[in-house]
Amino acid sequence: MNYKYKDWLMQIAFTFGAILFAMFIGSLVIMFIGKNPITVYQSMLQFTFGRSDSIGAILFKSTPLIFAGLAVALSFRVGLFNIGAEGQYFIGALAASIVGFSLQGLPWFIHLPLVILAGMAGGMLWALIPALLKVKRGAHEVITTIMMNYIAYSVVHYFVADLFLDKAQNLPKGYGSPMVRMPKILESARMPTMHDFVGIFGVEMPRYIYLNWFFVIGILLAIAVYILIWKTPFGMEIRAVGQNPHASETVGIQSKKVYLKTFLISGAIAGLIGLSDLLGYIGYMDTDFPRGYGFTGIAVALLANNNALGVVLAALLFGFLRRGAEGLQAIEQIPMDVVVILEGVIILSIVVASQLMRRYFKTQEKKREKESQKTSASDGDKEGLENVE
Amino acid sequence: MVSRDLVIETKGLRKSFPGVLANDQIDIDIRRGEVHAIVGENGAGKSTLMKMLCGLYQPDAGEIFLNGEKIELSDPGKAIKLGIGMVHQHFMLIPRFSVTENIILGAENSNRGVLNFKKAHAEVEELCKRYEFDLNPKELVADLSVGEQQRVEILKVLYRGAEVIIMDEPTAVLVPQEVDELFKNLKLLVEAGKTVIFISHKLDEVLEISDRITVLRRGQKIGTVNKEDTNKKHLAEMMVGRPVLFTVEKGEADVEGTVLEINDLHYSENGQAILNGVNFEVKAGEIYGIAGVEGNGQTELVETIVGLRKPASGSVKLLGKDITGKEVVDIRKEGIGFVPEDRHKRGLVLPMTVAENSILGKHNSKDLKKSLLLDYKKIEALTKQYITDYDIRVSSPQVEIGNLSGGNQQKVILAREFSGEPNLIIAAQPTRGLDVGAIEFVRKELVKARDAGKAVLLISADLEEVMAMSDRIGVIYNGRITSEFLPEEVDHQQLGHYMLGSEKEGAAK
Amino acid sequence: MLNELFSPDMMASAIRLTIPILLAALGAIYSERSGVVNIGLEGMMVVGAFWAAWGSFNYGPVVGILFGITAGMVLASIHALVTVTFKVNQIVSGVALNVLAAGISRFSSLSIFGMATTSPHVSGLPKMTIKPLAEISWLKPLVTEFSILIPISFILVGVTVWVLKYTTFGLRLRAAGENPEAADTLGINVFKMRYAGIIISGAFAGLAGAYLSIEHTGMYVEGMTQGKGYIALAAMIFGNWSAIGAMFAALLFGFAEAISLRRITTLVPYQFIKIIPYLLTIIVVSGFVKKSDPPAKVGTNYERGEG
Repeated sequence: MNYKYKDWLMQIAFTFGAILFAMFIGSLVIMFIGKNPITVYQSMLQFTFGRSDSIGAILFKSTPLIFAGLAVALSFRVGLFNIGAEGQYFIGALAASIVGFSLQGLPWFIHLPLVILAGMAGGMLWALIPALLKVKRGAHEVITTIMMNYIAYSVVHYFVADLFLDKAQNLPKGYGSPMVRMPKILESARMPTMHDFVGIFGVEMPRYIYLNWFFVIGILLAIAVYILIWKTPFGMEIRAVGQNPHASETVGIQSKKVYLKTFLISGAIAGLIGLSDLLGYIGYMDTDFPRGYGFTGIAVALLANNNALGVVLAALLFGFLRRGAEGLQAIEQIPMDVVVILEGVIILSIVVASQLMRRYFKTQEKKREKESQKTSASDGDKEGLENVE
Repeated sequence: MVSRDLVIETKGLRKSFPGVLANDQIDIDIRRGEVHAIVGENGAGKSTLMKMLCGLYQPDAGEIFLNGEKIELSDPGKAIKLGIGMVHQHFMLIPRFSVTENIILGAENSNRGVLNFKKAHAEVEELCKRYEFDLNPKELVADLSVGEQQRVEILKVLYRGAEVIIMDEPTAVLVPQEVDELFKNLKLLVEAGKTVIFISHKLDEVLEISDRITVLRRGQKIGTVNKEDTNKKHLAEMMVGRPVLFTVEKGEADVEGTVLEINDLHYSENGQAILNGVNFEVKAGEIYGIAGVEGNGQTELVETIVGLRKPASGSVKLLGKDITGKEVVDIRKEGIGFVPEDRHKRGLVLPMTVAENSILGKHNSKDLKKSLLLDYKKIEALTKQYITDYDIRVSSPQVEIGNLSGGNQQKVILAREFSGEPNLIIAAQPTRGLDVGAIEFVRKELVKARDAGKAVLLISADLEEVMAMSDRIGVIYNGRITSEFLPEEVDHQQLGHYMLGSEKEGAAK
Repeated sequence: MLNELFSPDMMASAIRLTIPILLAALGAIYSERSGVVNIGLEGMMVVGAFWAAWGSFNYGPVVGILFGITAGMVLASIHALVTVTFKVNQIVSGVALNVLAAGISRFSSLSIFGMATTSPHVSGLPKMTIKPLAEISWLKPLVTEFSILIPISFILVGVTVWVLKYTTFGLRLRAAGENPEAADTLGINVFKMRYAGIIISGAFAGLAGAYLSIEHTGMYVEGMTQGKGYIALAAMIFGNWSAIGAMFAALLFGFAEAISLRRITTLVPYQFIKIIPYLLTIIVVSGFVKKSDPPAKVGTNYERGEG
């Protein structure tokens, strides 16, 4: 038992090692443009923790990443790779915004849940196709979901720029052209920000911080996913199929059904990724709708080792990095894309670290095995003698 | 004819894998220009020994000599350079490549990296002619029969100038006519001065083709004999050891009604018939043992019964109820406990804990749930019960099962599969790879289940085990139960004879 | 409308749009035939496009192209290190590289050019015109003022076919992707072959990016690859991992893109014409038209099976 504890510590050590390595690469990048990494990291910390508005901004930025990380982590758990979270959240956001601007006259407590459900349904629909093709035709989900991502971009573009283009935008004469966007989402479907709530505790959050209740929903969802994975029979099936589909089938688990259901849940969660921005911040769907959360979700899930609660922490870390990058751009004139580089390096170093860790554990196991063999070797010899008799 | 000088000699070779000592203290000597057979039962260590000779495995201890010089075979490339080539049991061919491409790969004659296919084809044709191999160099390997593919494998090593050709169970995949063809080729090779090491457990073939025979058992060398000085019976004894050393304490079988009834079961895969009309039944209170050389359909038979594979035709009935082709989960509900032959692939989810593995398959049962969630207290209590009942050596139910020894892993499977009060227990190779203590435990549990009135179907490649455990024995050959016996009716040698294809007169069903 | 669809202008545009897809798809063939999936093509194109623009801006177009190729190879080397040496999941590594490439290019663009989204205009290679053919009016758009990389790309198709089929290197590369264990037992260094396959694919993707920035557009534009790396992957799958097949697929996809760009039909929204390559790929990998037939061991990392 005591080695298990040691293994656990090792895991944390490797994770931190990977993050440190990424920071080291980041330092090289910073040095490349002639700045001192130490002062840069310092001012990043000062900016993110020295200002009252930063905490709210971090939480807001991490909100979509929580959903993205959960969606990807869940698919990893069952042994599938949902690269399609990207397309799924685009379709989810599209569905949500259609329901959001078209259903008039509903009270918020009906409209808002409807919009959220529409988002989940959209994501699920986009996951359904690759999932069915995987289970029925054996099509590799990585290829199909990548293709579905690009189909999603085009479909959304069609809806935004053609079918549902908001033609009722009234612009002051001579002030540019109308925006390529869909109609604005009705007030009844907007997600309220948390200003009033944090106000109860005497915290005043500036108006330009859009932290909203999706953050809380994300945390609750993470807990729910954690319970699903570790405390329910279905979660046990997910883990069993993910780790050994053959053994799972032998004990009567229908692995194809488990693949299908899990992928659909993953898609539904992915459908929520864009909603914090859509319903809590931007308020309409346009051609510049933020991209790339789905890919960052992969980084989040990997960093969290697919643990649902770890996803929250990893998302917060990425939120922190993104907030810090804004500061760097403002204070140090360092392009905030340095954080995207960091994200890429973190993914790579975390997966390399976990491979190294696996090798380390394997050799440890072999050592243990050899030791236990030594102790049982004497028994074996006796048995050999009996046989000769 | 056969010159007496040694090509290969090994001294004290030893190789172990986690949990298994595959080879220990192996001394063999191979003479130039002979066909030297290495025989032994499955798991006797033949393949490990050969893999050390061709550089795939490095020995833990011991030495290998080639033409009297000590050599280190760090990788297969080195062995090839020294003239030792191996024809693997599972062919190492690339189906999408032509015969020539497969043969020249890694030993290409090229002009600054550009291949000269004309020349290569001609070389291959020349080799084919010399050793009377019937092959078209330009054909794709994917389009070749198994026998032809094997010829490509042999040509591969010849093309590299091999003097010693190791063949790992070359006849296992061949039909009789192809075996004749192979033997013809081998004789030509030996006439041309090559040395052949021939691994097999088929004694008839061994006696037909080889000059000398080395027998391995449980990773150790039992002896080397000249063909003239031995016979099948003698070899069989060397292979399996002295007849039945262990006994299982068991009383008379108290047999009742039929539990499992298999009727004319057929199964095929990729167009190849694997089960060709299996018929037998297992009654409550008896152990029905299936003996047979591996690869005669045992795995498929068992997996068809439990629902992992869908039969082409025929029926499986459990207590009179037709369960043919149903889903695994539904079949298990009818009361089947299944101990699969491959523990790690089919039996357990290694990264999960002992507790989780103990309840896998039962995880939806109401007894283990508290409303929608799993009741971990109950699960833990149940697992602890299993741990005491089945004497599982583990510090806590929360340990990953991958960290347990093979014996303790198997005990977890037994606990899981036996505890649901099944009507039928299917145990496939239940003692494979276990240490003595665990073997005895598993055997006792099987007898206990039988005495409790359950029907037990035992599949084992270990003849001793089948003989000692079974109340009735069925011999499987080529996808059929060809004969049935009571254990006292037959001895080892007879049974071995039937396993190699003979049929009991008038008994074929 | 049909006239317009198959007009010489249209054809010329289709071929121009085919080239980056074709080059990257050829690269993908080397990588996949050696057994490694290269999702990172997109990223390799992105860095290729940026560094080619930078090289051309400072030292002229030839150096620019070399820079683009080198940048693709550098990124590919990371992929090789991570997947072949460290045996990390090939998809994860590719995704990470795409993220990394996007970050590097924006970051560099901002810190070097001071603009995130575009570079200044850069010069390309001298354009070619085949005089005698240019007289024929319906051929004119195809043979005047075209990039020299266009004929080179089609020559590279032939080169790829030849290398894979008729050289020792090609034979061994394919063996590493079909049956690495067999290759290993025959003394072939599977790791070396896979490194080679991946790095060559990086060179091709880098060249594809260079074509985009300095030949096709004349500047680096943020997001100019528009997922062409993935379309290239699709073209390779659609072309069944063969260079000739990938060429036809790339032509088809280039044609589809030309149609959607020119918006010559209002019958179908142009966004839906754009999705044709993706849809076709899904149909192919799902085995609806013919059996898709990838190298037997593509996507699996090779580990020597010593116990």
